[in-house]
Amino acid sequence: MSAGTPFTGTVSTGTLSTGTSSARPHPMSRAVVLGGGLAGVLAAAVLAGHADEVVLVEGDRYPSGPRPRRGLPQSHHSHVLVAGGARALDALLPGTVDALLANGAHLRGLPGDALIFSADGWFRRLRTDAHLISCTRGLLDQVVRRRALGGGDVEVWEDTRALGLTGDEARITGVSVSRRGAPPETVRADLVVDATGRRSHAPRWLAGVGAGDIEEVSVATGLAYATRLYQAPGDLAAAIPAIMLHPGTAKGQPARGATLFPVEDGRWIVTLTGTRGGEPPTDEQGFTAFARSLRHPIVADLMAEATPLGAVWPYRDTVNRRRFFERARLPAGFAVVGDAAVAVNPIHSHGMSVAALGALRLRDELARHGIGPSLFAGLQAALAAEAERSWRMAIEQDGQRVTARATARIGERAGEQVTEGVAERAGGDDAPRREPNAFEREIRTRLAQAKLSSPRLAAAFFGVQTLICDDTATDRSEIARVLTGRPEPLLTGEEAIGQHPALAAWLRLRFAAATG
Amino acid sequence: MSLRISEAVIWQETGEGISLYHTETGDFHSLNDTGSRIWRLVASDGEREPVMFKLSRDFAGSNSAMSRRIVTDVEEFIGAMIEQGLIEEVPAEEPAVKEESLS
Repeated sequence: MSAGTPFTGTVSTGTLSTGTSSARPHPMSRAVVLGGGLAGVLAAAVLAGHADEVVLVEGDRYPSGPRPRRGLPQSHHSHVLVAGGARALDALLPGTVDALLANGAHLRGLPGDALIFSADGWFRRLRTDAHLISCTRGLLDQVVRRRALGGGDVEVWEDTRALGLTGDEARITGVSVSRRGAPPETVRADLVVDATGRRSHAPRWLAGVGAGDIEEVSVATGLAYATRLYQAPGDLAAAIPAIMLHPGTAKGQPARGATLFPVEDGRWIVTLTGTRGGEPPTDEQGFTAFARSLRHPIVADLMAEATPLGAVWPYRDTVNRRRFFERARLPAGFAVVGDAAVAVNPIHSHGMSVAALGALRLRDELARHGIGPSLFAGLQAALAAEAERSWRMAIEQDGQRVTARATARIGERAGEQVTEGVAERAGGDDAPRREPNAFEREIRTRLAQAKLSSPRLAAAFFGVQTLICDDTATDRSEIARVLTGRPEPLLTGEEAIGQHPALAAWLRLRFAAATG
Repeated sequence: MSLRISEAVIWQETGEGISLYHTETGDFHSLNDTGSRIWRLVASDGEREPVMFKLSRDFAGSNSAMSRRIVTDVEEFIGAMIEQGLIEEVPAEEPAVKEESLS
């Protein structure tokens, strides 16, 4: 019955019948998860604790090792698990982070183990709880799949396409699938979870059973990126900090940046980013020249000393897209997780982490309600809540707003002599955007620069970025302190690199060799 | 009750009036000429009455109806500032003020 994957479960054929749903009662509960990426695998693992049978439907075939997967275009690119996602993953599958590290993944504290040149300057090495785990997507998927599916509680159907839902606008009763070379078949399910990612057809499937439209918002970024793996020089391969060169603030110019992260097997993964008109090339010379043109040469210098492995891989599907399934009258027995619901610009590195957070929330909801009507009533809203923080951060950082905001004024009574238009809010969520005056620019610049050296502001900033806290955790007294005190001097590039002894030593040797 | 600028507020005179930043809410505010004038008076005098007196003198002269209206508007403005956490009400300082007034 199964497609014969290494993760195929041990479900007996007597309980996992297929075919059109019958009128007989189904004593065994069954969940079907569509999409075998990280979100789907984690959802399936969670459901295995609550459903008698769980089927994971994957259109692709899993690679036998930690390699990119054909059906996952992102898998050639940089993937990091941020702290919030790593914690969630370990809560779901205890020991997974240790297993990743044991297999060559790297943990880097933020900004303590990172060399970050932001638009406002270089970060100092500051210890915070924020961190990221860097490895190839292939390794992460393999480690997670083994731990999530290796127990045999989930039956995996590879090479199987999901064709649509069965049921009506009130209740989903199953899913129609097509295994390679076989006619379509219907699989009965008490719960169908769509985890098919950015290419999800869920709105069309729902329309097919008579359910209402799904509201959708897209926020374009204009961003493209290109990625290449390198074999790192042996002495620096694992000692390298995570390196991030953010775009500068020059107006009217494409925003260009780069990241370099260590991954398993002594390799580095380099990603170059650029907005419209400044997209990174994918040819050898162009890729190198682009890196050399950035605000600082450190990434280009490191690339020059490393050995390229394979092609440069481009990626352009960076739009932030959210489908508000939670606002629709979803049929019972259906839920959407991961990028199929909320897909943020991959440059924010939140996709895998939000998938893990969503799976953790699914587990909590299942523990509270089991699979049944009380679960379905609020499940989608609960899942959406887990993605909210990432979504808001992404669209704010990508410089767009999706909701119109009302003007709020205080102390205004039009026509009156004294208080006419006395005060106007220039910030806050309910104020319209306008050009900031010099005072605002000064405050914003000082705050941005203060977080480069203030441990408390950096902890708050990276805590938000890595999904371990929200922006209400910012220490407001620290903001007052940095605005009224003497600003810390900004680091030069040399000083910033000098914070990382191995990197600094390598650069000194390189310079000595070059100058004879 | 006296008035004082909240310690959470950073403010600066600009060419367009006074600009404020509330470090706890993260909100920016800008005051027009009249609002800026009230703000300065609150900062320097710290009491409602002198603020109202000086504004009435400057705007209303001997027009009592206008004076009443200005008093109302200043109260409203200060109330809004208090509500926003930009200005705080504090118990009046007794001995210090008396000593200062004697010198």
